Amino acid sequence: MTVLYLLVPLALFFAAAAVATFIWAVRSGQFDDLETPAVRVLFDDDE
Amino acid sequence: MTEANANSCAHCGLPVTGNPVFGGDGGGSGGEEHGDETSPSPVFCCVGCRAVYHTLQEAGLDDFYSLRQSWQSAQPRPVDTEVLDPDDVGIFDSSGFLGEHADVQSDGTMRAVLYLEGVHCAGCVWLVERMPRLLDGVVDARLELARGRMTVCWDPDVIELSEVARWLGQFGFEAHPLRTDNMGRRSRDAQSMLIRVGICWAVAANVMLMTIALYAGLDPIADGGLYTAVLWATFGLSAVSLVAGGEVFFRRALASFKSGRPSMDVPVSVGILVGWGHSGWATITGSGEVWFDSIVILIAALLTARYLQIRGNGLAADAADRLVALLPRMARRVVGFETAEQRVETVAAHTVEVGDRLHVLAGDVVPADGRVISGRTDISRAVLTGESLPESIDCGDYVEAGTTNLASPIVVEVEATGDETRVGRLMEWLEDRNIHRAPIVQRADRLSVVFITVVLVASVLTAVAWSFIDPTRVVANVVALLVIACPCALGMATPLALTVGVGQAARRGIHIKNDEVIEALDGVTDLVFDKTGTLTQGSCAVVDTVGDLEAIYRVRELEKRSNHPFAEAVVRWIDETVDPARGASDIDRVEDVEEIPGAGIRGIVDGRSVAVGRLSWFEGLPKPIDEWARLHAERGLTPVGVSIDGRVRAALAIGDRLRPEAFSILETLRKQGIRLHLLSGDHRRVVAATGRQLVIPDERVVGDATPEDKLAYIESLRERNAGAVVAMVGDGVNDAPALQAAHVGIAVHGGTEASLVAADIFIVADGVRPIAELLDGAKRTMAVVHRNLAGSGIYNFAGISLAALGFITPLLAAILMPISSLAVVASSLLQNSFGADRASAEQDAFGQHAGAHQESAHNASFIEQRVS
Repeated sequence: MTVLYLLVPLALFFAAAAVATFIWAVRSGQFDDLETPAVRVLFDDDE
Repeated sequence: MTEANANSCAHCGLPVTGNPVFGGDGGGSGGEEHGDETSPSPVFCCVGCRAVYHTLQEAGLDDFYSLRQSWQSAQPRPVDTEVLDPDDVGIFDSSGFLGEHADVQSDGTMRAVLYLEGVHCAGCVWLVERMPRLLDGVVDARLELARGRMTVCWDPDVIELSEVARWLGQFGFEAHPLRTDNMGRRSRDAQSMLIRVGICWAVAANVMLMTIALYAGLDPIADGGLYTAVLWATFGLSAVSLVAGGEVFFRRALASFKSGRPSMDVPVSVGILVGWGHSGWATITGSGEVWFDSIVILIAALLTARYLQIRGNGLAADAADRLVALLPRMARRVVGFETAEQRVETVAAHTVEVGDRLHVLAGDVVPADGRVISGRTDISRAVLTGESLPESIDCGDYVEAGTTNLASPIVVEVEATGDETRVGRLMEWLEDRNIHRAPIVQRADRLSVVFITVVLVASVLTAVAWSFIDPTRVVANVVALLVIACPCALGMATPLALTVGVGQAARRGIHIKNDEVIEALDGVTDLVFDKTGTLTQGSCAVVDTVGDLEAIYRVRELEKRSNHPFAEAVVRWIDETVDPARGASDIDRVEDVEEIPGAGIRGIVDGRSVAVGRLSWFEGLPKPIDEWARLHAERGLTPVGVSIDGRVRAALAIGDRLRPEAFSILETLRKQGIRLHLLSGDHRRVVAATGRQLVIPDERVVGDATPEDKLAYIESLRERNAGAVVAMVGDGVNDAPALQAAHVGIAVHGGTEASLVAADIFIVADGVRPIAELLDGAKRTMAVVHRNLAGSGIYNFAGISLAALGFITPLLAAILMPISSLAVVASSLLQNSFGADRASAEQDAFGQHAGAHQESAHNASFIEQRVS
């Protein structure tokens, strides 16, 4: 079971990375508008 | 083009009434002559729609019509026919504006956030975001659909912002600067709360995972090292959660304690701190139980509820800001008045100074208080006084900012600007929110006081009892009690249910700025209406006619030359009554038109002299018309005469017509035991007549009410009856103090800035129906709140009793807590308080027909009553 001493901190590190990414996403405004992106996928990008 | 409905406009989808405009190109734009015979020609409601339709076709943007169906099936709404003034967009290029609203990016481009009016579907997003490809110099354009916020980046060397605004204007999107960036501030508040929520859930998930090891039987002796490591890891993680999330509750609990009204945050904070302190102590000393998992879940769940609440309230506040952004911001300043080089320059409204002379065109809103120094006109003071009928204004008369010039251009010498104007002073007064604010005692808050007391008493009793029974279990049982009593479900019960209700209401066009008022609405005893705009249609309409109808039809072309609301009402009435085919084919020739402010309009129609105007303007009224007119004047209507070749041939009664659905809705409200009141700035006679039609007792009908009268009326209602909960519905600046004084202030469609600031709720949908819907929805939302409170109350009561008796183990607490919380969440989310299907079904059932009949019946009986 000693592997847990390595795995748990590793898991926590990943969790911290995920939280950091989340904070970045929120700060850059990606959660401010939850409706427009849903309709944006409808547009064709071809010109 | 997807819809094949011949009766709706090919562009906007509104029903085509009156004179349809047929496809082709028309409008002098020349160009292609495609498809006129091969495919059915599109029909438009107006020239504007046809222009937009062709612009879209020519730019190859006809995908618009298939895309706009996809976002929502919102009913099309008529858009103001206001044309974008080229002077108006000029402000976007001024350095003052750019300095205030735009910033320079690192690559030399400029960026600004504007509010786009008229955005409501996926097609709009597509059009706006295609701008960079179609307009040289625009680097990027992003549109936020829900809030109508457009972020645009452009290269100042290639293009000016005004050109962007003009480009958008040709599609019917009007750009407005956002006066204050409240939206940005609210976004940041919501963002920081969302970050806290994210951190707390990450912590909670990890703590839970590790705690499973403890529940699964990690042996403290055999695996001593691992056991201690788990304890310390969860200890550390929960500390993060406490700092990132718990802090919100601690701060609010402290604030509520200082104000002497402990809120729900107090038991939450006590629970968190005691539980965490005990668990921490157990970790350090290596003995006793730990409850880190329960604590972090509690924090995360409550924080989520709070985040949803912030977001819901923020959306309503954003909607209010958008409406405020629509106010006039330009003024026409006259330079060198009455000199040889007199000219008019367009300036920003806030730069106008006392002594300036302003040119106010017909249809414009007066930008500052001042005295008329040139011109005669009719103005509408509806915004200030609620009086819906126009007043005539002559040289030397005083006009206030916010009034609308109806008839002909005037020049105003400014005497007060900005905060010094009547509107400005009122706004200032309103911002001082403490004045007259009706306190709403929150049942949930009262409940929490009871709850805290019960928990504290129970824990003291438990401690005392167990110190006799078994002193070693005192701490464990008390803490178990406090943790199980942690009002996770109880704390979420109210905010979550209210937030979901507010969200559902917003989708129905009812924006609730402050969800506390839902509770007050549930127990409303007195509903005070302002007549204009709520119960009536808010615009002039022909209610009755007498005499030769053919004579009336004659005046259509003459009346079309006038801006006066009466003239518009007459034209509308003729278009509705006369067979459209006739109107289109034989158009009368009109010459020598002369409009006399305060009297009427006259001219030569097909060689005969025709005049329309107030009856006092004509001489020698035939007796039947005179009597008829007197009867209608008594009802508060304004009689208008039509004369041909100097003889009065017919008359029309013009007034604000009651909304057809008002009768049935007020009847329903009355049946619910709500006392109705009518309080209006309109003429006493008009208001009394309306009151009688709506069966409101005379003592509850007040006409000629000034803002002060309205305020006094609301206050006396509150004082006379301690148990009264007063809701006020209004729209004008004159209603603002009353809206604020009432327990619940409701601003309705078309309301002014002041009423939006003062009101707790504002409704963008038209009419009385949303008010009934609001009251109904509030009732259902509160039923959900009560259901939640009862459920979690029972849970807490049972939990506390069992814990006091020493039956609760940490494992049981850990299972029970999420279950009770989930029950509350499910119960809140599954409510259908402001359901769309519910409302629209009712609307179809009795909206148009029953109401309309009822109104004519009321009118007829009224006339009979007066005649006999």
